[in-house]
Amino acid sequence: MRAYVALVWAVARKDLLVEFRTYERLTAMGAFTVLVGVLFNFSIDSAVVRPQDIGAALIWMTIIFGGILGMGRTFRLEEEDGALAGILQSPIPLDALFLGKVLGNFVLLSMMAALVFFVFGLFFSLSFSGNPVVLVAIVGFGVLGFVSLTTLFSAMATRSSMGESLLPVLVFPLLVPLVVYGATATQRLFAGRPVVEVSGNVRMLAAFAVLFTVAGAWLFRFVIEE
Amino acid sequence: MSFGLEAIGLVRNFGGLRAVDGVSFQLQPGELLTVFGPNGAGKTTLLRMLAGVMRPDSGHVRVAGAPADIASRDWRHRVGIVSHQSLLYGQLTTTENLMFYGRLFGLTDLKTRIPERLESMGLSDRAGTPVRELSRGLKQRVALARALLHDPEVVLLDEPYTGLDPYASAVLREQLAALKDGLRTVVLVTHNLKQGLELADRVAIQVRGRFSSVMDSVSLDLTGLEALYQAAVENPA
Repeated sequence: MRAYVALVWAVARKDLLVEFRTYERLTAMGAFTVLVGVLFNFSIDSAVVRPQDIGAALIWMTIIFGGILGMGRTFRLEEEDGALAGILQSPIPLDALFLGKVLGNFVLLSMMAALVFFVFGLFFSLSFSGNPVVLVAIVGFGVLGFVSLTTLFSAMATRSSMGESLLPVLVFPLLVPLVVYGATATQRLFAGRPVVEVSGNVRMLAAFAVLFTVAGAWLFRFVIEE
Repeated sequence: MSFGLEAIGLVRNFGGLRAVDGVSFQLQPGELLTVFGPNGAGKTTLLRMLAGVMRPDSGHVRVAGAPADIASRDWRHRVGIVSHQSLLYGQLTTTENLMFYGRLFGLTDLKTRIPERLESMGLSDRAGTPVRELSRGLKQRVALARALLHDPEVVLLDEPYTGLDPYASAVLREQLAALKDGLRTVVLVTHNLKQGLELADRVAIQVRGRFSSVMDSVSLDLTGLEALYQAAVENPA
């Protein structure tokens, strides 16, 4: 078990090391987040619509669209000088390779999600007085489900002739439950509703996160093997 | 008796194209087989199946007598691969690349093993250099260090000289010659007859997916090989 965790961490560590050398994906996702925040700030008439009422939905849509930008390049790095063949020739179990990729993406997307909350909190003056642990759980499970799904489909899209443009088409329909439960729960927390009103949503998000991660780890071999 | 590497009836199709067509051979530990063939002969596909990166449609591979099933991972400890691509991450340093691959192979003595490997490849002064800043020749030496890091019994080399200048080719050739230590089984794939013949114990010519001939290199000089190669390419079996 310890050796397995070490393999997962080796893959995640390598991905993060490469990312923190280039900031390629973080820059793309961060710039997208700030620009979307600015655009929404100017495009919403606060005399007609209260930003607090739509803030959670905008936050989740920004996480999803911005996340696609970064997650779509998950396997592009591996293809650059044939590195994926080197990994596939090694004894690492393919599910450990998948989980390592998911872990690396989870860290990157969590950083982006924190930026999204900061930017939208700033522009829309969103006040949050609820339980921060519950908010972290909602975002954490949502992000985990999202990265598990997009990591799997990114491997598939990278190997197709359509490339990254295929990823949103494949992923968006499957993300509907995550967006519905995540946005609803976040909205209720922003509205100061009691935790008991979002506990069902948190459980559903956790279930989807576990389902997508386990299914992704199992299905990954069918996507990656030639 | 178990062979170092054994391929039995390997077949691989891509749509309607048969890239590898019933290739079989057996190599004793310590033997070096060079596979020649024109572009599109299926040499790289064959090597990818031997490395367990690609699944054959039929046939199988045995490494040191053990079945090399693509779904199982353990036998991969015994195989190392060098390709015309470096299989390295340009943004990481030489040491970081070797550290990463060493961890994938479950090696625990990397802090001593990596400097030793870099030393033996003449790369000690490049340990902290990002791979993207290395010349093609140096990059290929790092690729060889990576492939040998876990002391594999079988080494697979896919056009390792591609893109190298004469000096870098000569340096790499010396390092490949060192692989003939009587213990490792080596398969070298190339279309360069001279470079391939220099190192080979046995040679095979692959045309349209098939091995048209497999022979000992002892009785073969470059002129004889050229004649055989031309005949095999012009009149494939």
